Amino acid sequence: MPRKKRGVEEQARPARADLAERLADELRSDRASGQPLIDEQEFPSGKVRVTVIWDDWDRLPLEERTAVILRAYELAEGRGYGDRIALASGLTVPEAYGAGMLPFQIIPALRRGDSVTAEQCRRAMIEEGASTLLAADKPQLRFASEEEAEAARKRLIERLPDSEPVWVITQEVGKVEDWASR
Amino acid sequence: MPRRLLDRCLPDCIREFRAAARQRFDDALALAGRGRRTGAIYLWGYTAEMTLKAAYFALIGLADTDVITWNAHLQPAIQRGRGLGVAWPAQGAGHNVRAWAELLVAVRALSPATAWAPPFDRDVQRRGQRIEQLWRETLRYHKNDAYLYEMRQVREAAEWLLVHSDAL
Repeated sequence: MPRKKRGVEEQARPARADLAERLADELRSDRASGQPLIDEQEFPSGKVRVTVIWDDWDRLPLEERTAVILRAYELAEGRGYGDRIALASGLTVPEAYGAGMLPFQIIPALRRGDSVTAEQCRRAMIEEGASTLLAADKPQLRFASEEEAEAARKRLIERLPDSEPVWVITQEVGKVEDWASR
Repeated sequence: MPRRLLDRCLPDCIREFRAAARQRFDDALALAGRGRRTGAIYLWGYTAEMTLKAAYFALIGLADTDVITWNAHLQPAIQRGRGLGVAWPAQGAGHNVRAWAELLVAVRALSPATAWAPPFDRDVQRRGQRIEQLWRETLRYHKNDAYLYEMRQVREAAEWLLVHSDAL
């Protein structure tokens, strides 16, 4: 009888080079705003958890996103850095929002007579990192904390002088059943 | 009169999860052999879920027969995962195989004594990710036939977790 032997390990998918290089550039540049949002958490063991929130992940399988993140860190931080990363996750803004990770949102509350237009607000929000995956004309600018949202609001005001009254920070409180089960 | 099936079931615990994971794996193989691909995926997803849950609760020190409940164990585990940065949507939270896999990796990474050396941590995460893209507990409500390659991917991921359950 034939005896077939094979290993159970499978190779990780190769990282998409273009995305990995762009993400590596973002890691080196350390911009204050815009996508991708890179969240790193170092554990006491020295291991690191990385979450990259980026609409460019759209349609890319989760495994490939992880491979891109690991490759980008190798490019930006040097060979071997990937071994420090215990968890690498890539999420689009809508996915991160769906997981409850971005409960704060900045919305433009435009009124007649405001000195900025809806289109100016839309562009400023996209520059700030808003997602247009759900609706191109209604960018969603979401954050993990109120502090991050407030800092973004200040940058929006710098981008669009006289727009201070326009920007409103809201917080998602979740469903009643979610609170009840806490 | 013999007791009914549900009355014969033991409470949820690590031992039950592990034994049931192996049974569901074999059940799925039987389905796969008859061409019932979606049914096979449905059961293999539970194999992965129970294997990961058993591993997590063993890691935090539960004994094999300690009763596992939603309020005392599952819900706190989900909250802990969220606190560690695991993306854990509310819908179907208890069944999110990818999130359970990532919780396990993250909690192990908290201490040098328990952290996995690469690439094992990534291997665990990858299996969770693979299953998340092809399996939900809600599959039972749908009539779609899975492709052969989809069935193969879920089987390989569930099998890998089962084979490595002692190391998880």
